[in-house]
Amino acid sequence: MTIASNVKQCLSTIKGIESQLASFALNSLDSEAQVIFNQAMLTVGEVKKDLQYRVLELERNEPQYKGS
Amino acid sequence: MMPGWVIIIGRSLVFLVLLFVTTKVLGKKQISELSFFEYVAGITIGSIAGEVVTGLEGNMFHGALALIVFGFVTFLVNFLAIKSKKFSDFAEGKSTVVIKDGKILEENLKKEKYTLDELSALLRQKNIFKFADVEFAVLEPRGNLSVLLKKENLPLTPKDLQMKMPNEKEPQTVIMDGNIVDESLRCAGKGRGWLYTELDKLEVTLDNVFLGQVDSYGELTVDLYDDKIQVPSPAQRPLLLATLKKVQADLEIFSLETNCEKSKEMYKRNAEKVQKTIDMLSPFLNG
Repeated sequence: MTIASNVKQCLSTIKGIESQLASFALNSLDSEAQVIFNQAMLTVGEVKKDLQYRVLELERNEPQYKGS
Repeated sequence: MMPGWVIIIGRSLVFLVLLFVTTKVLGKKQISELSFFEYVAGITIGSIAGEVVTGLEGNMFHGALALIVFGFVTFLVNFLAIKSKKFSDFAEGKSTVVIKDGKILEENLKKEKYTLDELSALLRQKNIFKFADVEFAVLEPRGNLSVLLKKENLPLTPKDLQMKMPNEKEPQTVIMDGNIVDESLRCAGKGRGWLYTELDKLEVTLDNVFLGQVDSYGELTVDLYDDKIQVPSPAQRPLLLATLKKVQADLEIFSLETNCEKSKEMYKRNAEKVQKTIDMLSPFLNG
């Protein structure tokens, strides 16, 4: 396992979390819960963006990890 | 001349309907909590009806008239009691304070003709064995006792612990006896399509479901006719919390492993962000 593949794995987990938060935000009946889930989804989205950028950076610096 | 038993059957039916209508008009109160007036009216109406139905020599319409008068007066009393506070105090009685600031008010107790034994019996029914635990107690007009315990003896609530608890809406029963209850489904803000997808996810068919409920988070729990089949209980929320914690830990590891200062800082910042999200979400994701 390389760093790049670890980061990629983490990134896909975060994507999963984001989509699940979105589904909770839509499915919850309580309006406060909806707001909190939505807010959490946006924060996780920010983290996702940073990690995506980092993955690109890793792939550029160390092309041997590309696609792994 | 009709035989007696035919008359009894006829009268019974007529009075059943009449009693049914009377109780309907007087409302739910007539059945559950009787005030003095309703208590008396209830007894009298019942005995008039019984008397007339079996007493063949009497005139049925006289009995019906008495019944209607009693029903109407009770209705009138109820109506006036709603309109005027003074009248309701007079007709339905007032509540009496019997314990205040942890002290028994002997005067009020005497006025209501309750003995100390009776008071302690009422307290014991509420699992209170020490007078000292009570801050305030009221004898209601219906004869039951309402008690406020001292703060230190009250059950602990999340509020006392300054815990933030999410508000949960009432669960909706969307499947009963293998049939979809469309009205509750709409109350839950869902449609049939959603329900079929959820059932598919649980790998059960609609006709095998005895009871299905949707909770505040839109999660479906089902009880099947076939009790041998194990259905997974919804665990998405605890699982999500665990995944979030894993991601947070991963980000911290990355920040330690990398040599690049800029990325280190980036990982650290994001680990903090995720931690904050976990703190914010955990009341909603636990249990």
